[in-house]
Amino acid sequence: MIKHALILSTIASMALFANDEIDELKKQIAQLQQHLSAIEQTQKLNAQKELNDKVAAVNRSGSSFNQSAFLPDMSFILDTSAVSRNMKNSDYETYSMPGFTEAPTDGEEPEIPFNKDRGFNFNYAEVALHSVVDPYFDADVIFHIRSDALEIEEAFVTTRELPYGLRVKAGKFRSGFGRINAIHQHAWNFTSQPLVYEALIGVEGINSAGIQMQWIAPTDTYLMIGAEAMQKLTPESPNEENNLYIGYIKSSVDVGDTSILGGVSLAHSKYFEDETASIINDSDIYGLELTIKTFLDSYSSITLQSELLSRTQKTATGDVTQAGMYGELVYKINTNYSTGVRYDSLYKNLYNQPDDLKRYTAILEYKPFEFSKIRLQFTHDKSKEFNGKRNDINEVLLGITIEAGAHGAHAF
Amino acid sequence: MKITVLITMLLSVALFAKVNVAATYNYLGEITKEVGGNNVKVVVLASPKFDPHFIVPKPSLLPKIHNADMLVLNGAGVEIGWLPPLLKRANNSHVISGAIGFVDASLVINLLDKPMSVSRAYGDVHPEGNPHFSLDPHNIIPIAMLIAKKLQAIDSKNSDKYQSNLDGFISKWNSFLTQFDADMQECKTKKVVQYHELYRYILGRYNIGSIGTVEPLPGVSPSSKHTIELINKMKENGVNIIMQDVYHERKTAKFIASKSNSKVRIIPHDVGSVDGADSLENLYNIIRDRLCH
Repeated sequence: MIKHALILSTIASMALFANDEIDELKKQIAQLQQHLSAIEQTQKLNAQKELNDKVAAVNRSGSSFNQSAFLPDMSFILDTSAVSRNMKNSDYETYSMPGFTEAPTDGEEPEIPFNKDRGFNFNYAEVALHSVVDPYFDADVIFHIRSDALEIEEAFVTTRELPYGLRVKAGKFRSGFGRINAIHQHAWNFTSQPLVYEALIGVEGINSAGIQMQWIAPTDTYLMIGAEAMQKLTPESPNEENNLYIGYIKSSVDVGDTSILGGVSLAHSKYFEDETASIINDSDIYGLELTIKTFLDSYSSITLQSELLSRTQKTATGDVTQAGMYGELVYKINTNYSTGVRYDSLYKNLYNQPDDLKRYTAILEYKPFEFSKIRLQFTHDKSKEFNGKRNDINEVLLGITIEAGAHGAHAF
Repeated sequence: MKITVLITMLLSVALFAKVNVAATYNYLGEITKEVGGNNVKVVVLASPKFDPHFIVPKPSLLPKIHNADMLVLNGAGVEIGWLPPLLKRANNSHVISGAIGFVDASLVINLLDKPMSVSRAYGDVHPEGNPHFSLDPHNIIPIAMLIAKKLQAIDSKNSDKYQSNLDGFISKWNSFLTQFDADMQECKTKKVVQYHELYRYILGRYNIGSIGTVEPLPGVSPSSKHTIELINKMKENGVNIIMQDVYHERKTAKFIASKSNSKVRIIPHDVGSVDGADSLENLYNIIRDRLCH
């Protein structure tokens, strides 16, 4: 009986205490709820205030459609020079390279793109734009502005995401044929184009509308194969249909601090046999290139670069082959100075034409900084004919070239 | 039977296939090796002997980028003179800017000396700030974390492995830092001159005063006027150490040293720049020894 009573009272007291604890907890919960709603209230007020401030701050908006973050990279390049030459301008403009190029006929503008005049030359201003278009394409446009013309030097799209090491370029562009063709004048080691390019291809180089595909082999050694279909070889080429096909293979290895880059190229095209007969025939240009560059330190290097071009044209009387080469040695002394010599030779010509057309060029370049260069160039030219007579040209050129703005770094 | 063997071989090749990582500089390659362990194969593009700004975009570097699953770069503009033309020609969409495999270390660093205004009139300024953050050993861990995160994204099946490599590296590096920070205390009162603002981050970290640079403007060769001003400034401030990198000419620094009673110290900027700097730890240890003793 007592036991029962004890147990009952224990249970009753437990229930009592438990009730007390629960009341306590309930109180605490109520307090916490109060806290929470107070915090929530403050937050609400703050948010409301922020919103009010935000709305109040908006007066007029002119920047809703601002796209300046998407502006393309833009740069401009200027090239100007002073030239001293042992020939009057009116005589110089009549030059030809016997067997290779013809003198301009009466009334025709001479095709000399750079440093034509004795005295001062403003060669060109270039505006280069580059932008990522979307996840799939990059785009580049280069406007070439001369005193009397605005030309589109290049304008092309390039793929970003093709698989299997492929990249396709389409538009108007400089062909990847040979070593120097794709490089713009302002990045050449000398201010003048190698003779063999002017003689066999033309002053513009291979630059036409077309499509290019380049493939990089998944090997440890660099191996690149390129194929291009383009509209035409030169502005004068026949244009009834696209008629220029180009292919090249390039590879490179390093030996210590020396890089060796070599390649073979082929450009197959149609050309006019002669204007009177209007015969269109095939022409093949073969190119061999070799560049050896030794790095002496971060700022100093020795570069040996050479190209050999050979052109075979089919004529009514059989194949005719003409060829030439250039070799240059450039010593980059430090960040500021470099110097170089170049030898040009057109050594194979039509059977009754001279095959001793040569030119010697020496250059001294001073770069105050990466984006400007002042060049002093000496030329002794034995490749030209004026009014039907061969004459040697001696020329001294002082030029300045600048690259300003957002200009992408140059390739090797 | 033959087929089974062949299939097993092919599968095992796939299983053991490593993540190919191209790193622009040696120190990034070293961090990647620590985090990637046996699961990555690392190639480094730039030679540590040369000026990191002026690496030549040699065609032989193209296959290294072409074959990479991931490209780790310093960023903040150091590679702008040589990496973009390579990336353009390497035809590898996995590592172009914007791809998951494009890993810019500068994005996890608080860059110092971000210029208020930018003009080429001030020489080779980096609009992003000073990009030579690798010379502060405290910046290594964030980079390791970023590399680990990217490796986990690219090679998710080895995610745990990368995490444990990272954890191991972080604890190892933290104990290195404790010792290094203690060692650097004795260096605090030093005042130095640098050739270029290359050592900005380590000098700032340990409160070492940098009084000036041998070059008058970033990327501009020394001039006699600036050199004379610098010598006077060094005498006024009692500077006795000229921090010279491995790749610039040393003539000017030696001349300044002879006129200002100071010493030229060749300070490495990357793993492998000088003999003995064969690991991350040794790189910083050599910097400490040459700077403080």
